[in-house]
Amino acid sequence: MALAKAAGQRDEDGRTSILSASTLVGPATIFVCAGLLLPLLILFRYSLNRFEPRRMMVEALSAENYLKFFSDPYYTGIFWTTLYVAGLCTVICLVLGLPLAYALARTQTRFKNILIVLVVLPLFVGNAVRAAGWMTLLGNKGFLNVTLMDLGIIDAPMQMMFTEGAVIVGIVAVNLPYMVLTLQSVIEGINRALEEAAFSLGAGPYEMTRRVLLPLALPGLLAGTILTFILGMNAYATPVLLGGPKFKMMGPLVFGQFQLNNWPFGAATAFILMSATLVLTATANILVQRRYRR
Amino acid sequence: MTGRIGMRMLGRLALNGAATLSMAYLLLPLFFVTWLAFFAQEIPSFPPDGYSLKWFRAVPGNDRFVSGFILSLQVASIATLLGISIGVPAAVCLVRMKFTGRELVSSLLLLPLVVPGIVLGIALYVFHVETEILTEIPILGSIGGLIAGHVLIVIPWTVRLVTASLVGMDRAIEEAAQSLGADRFTTFRRITLPSILPGMVAAAMFGFISSFGNLEMSLFLVGPGRTTLPIAILQYLEWKIDPTIAAVSVLQILFIGVAMLLTDRFVKISRVV
Repeated sequence: MALAKAAGQRDEDGRTSILSASTLVGPATIFVCAGLLLPLLILFRYSLNRFEPRRMMVEALSAENYLKFFSDPYYTGIFWTTLYVAGLCTVICLVLGLPLAYALARTQTRFKNILIVLVVLPLFVGNAVRAAGWMTLLGNKGFLNVTLMDLGIIDAPMQMMFTEGAVIVGIVAVNLPYMVLTLQSVIEGINRALEEAAFSLGAGPYEMTRRVLLPLALPGLLAGTILTFILGMNAYATPVLLGGPKFKMMGPLVFGQFQLNNWPFGAATAFILMSATLVLTATANILVQRRYRR
Repeated sequence: MTGRIGMRMLGRLALNGAATLSMAYLLLPLFFVTWLAFFAQEIPSFPPDGYSLKWFRAVPGNDRFVSGFILSLQVASIATLLGISIGVPAAVCLVRMKFTGRELVSSLLLLPLVVPGIVLGIALYVFHVETEILTEIPILGSIGGLIAGHVLIVIPWTVRLVTASLVGMDRAIEEAAQSLGADRFTTFRRITLPSILPGMVAAAMFGFISSFGNLEMSLFLVGPGRTTLPIAILQYLEWKIDPTIAAVSVLQILFIGVAMLLTDRFVKISRVV
């Protein structure tokens, strides 16, 4: 009886799988299509429109917003700054993240869970709150300036807030948890015996890292690097709060264009930001995989 | 031989030192914002004149932050419920059923996490404008529009975490239940559901927290006179930094910290992130 029922079920599965699959996955798919793809499509259409100061947006079909962006040194300057800051932050995150990720992956203490929570907590607390912390530290009367003056290292406060350095410090702190968590999960999957084997064959810590750990952790390194780079490109709150009005990156630029009611140009800027990020990460992906797959 | 062991110990020492430094760097901003919240004077200059709790006592009287907190709480709760209820079936389907276009659907459902928050916000804003022109439903700046946007953030977390917990589950257990006479619903309720529950709890937590803390997208979706807590914090900080905002920040850190520790009792965070 039970067997017959099970057999019947399996038969039924075969026939109705498309129907039941669509009832299960359908709502979410439709929601994301309508709530994300369609809006992006409309936004792209807007980017081909024309802006006129008095009439706001005029229907058109031209690439002039994109041309305007790439022919004006002000905008291309912001573009290169964003690339530079995102790239530099990614490199710093790699250097800072690898030791922490390795230590977390290999630790045997019972505090491991607490340590992971401490890495995730800053991530979830929000960029604005963390920027507030950096403002307290880096302000003209902030902790760092006052301490350096007390120690007699500097005579007058250094301008640390509203500089490129402050933005880089802030973005690294924002992106570091992502890098650490990605690397940690990959390193945890690497058999520890391989490291021991390298050591017992005479490798030092540096040799072991370079010839065993890094090649095995490469997928995670790549994923973490790409994620951090994307987040750096798209940063908004950190450059606004730590960079001030003069230091511009792409995220604040896009927002500013919409505040000025120039929707077509704002839309074009948004698409330039997204495509640049996509192209760069895809290229990195292909290059690294080709180099290491042989 | 001793040289090599010495090298290894030196390497371990360097590793732990570097790891501690990175950890300190991560926690540094939280430490300083907490310190500032206890200053006696309003200006954030060091060393502080003294310490006081008055900024914390003033927070409940600050309408802007209280209403921001309530709105964030409401939006995040409803968005999490909705996102989970359509995200979990989708995740089950993506792992358990084979159909054409599965990969495509899977990456589509993860897409909201990849699209920059600012771009997502603008896209939704123009979408709301167009919808309002077309249907005359006042969706622009409405709370419904804000929640719909936040559901978009919860879905990818749900799909990612529930999928991960399903992949680790042995399919044979479900088949055993079915061959012992359980129908599909019973199998799901008694076998599948309990084993994906940790994944669902994790998804609810991550979805809730990323919705609660969402800043960039919400900037475009809040209506006039309505702000979420992260927006209220950002706008205050654009104007000035003082112990008031630090106290608000500390309360937010505590709120999220407690939420994380509670979740950690159900499902080890180190296993899901």
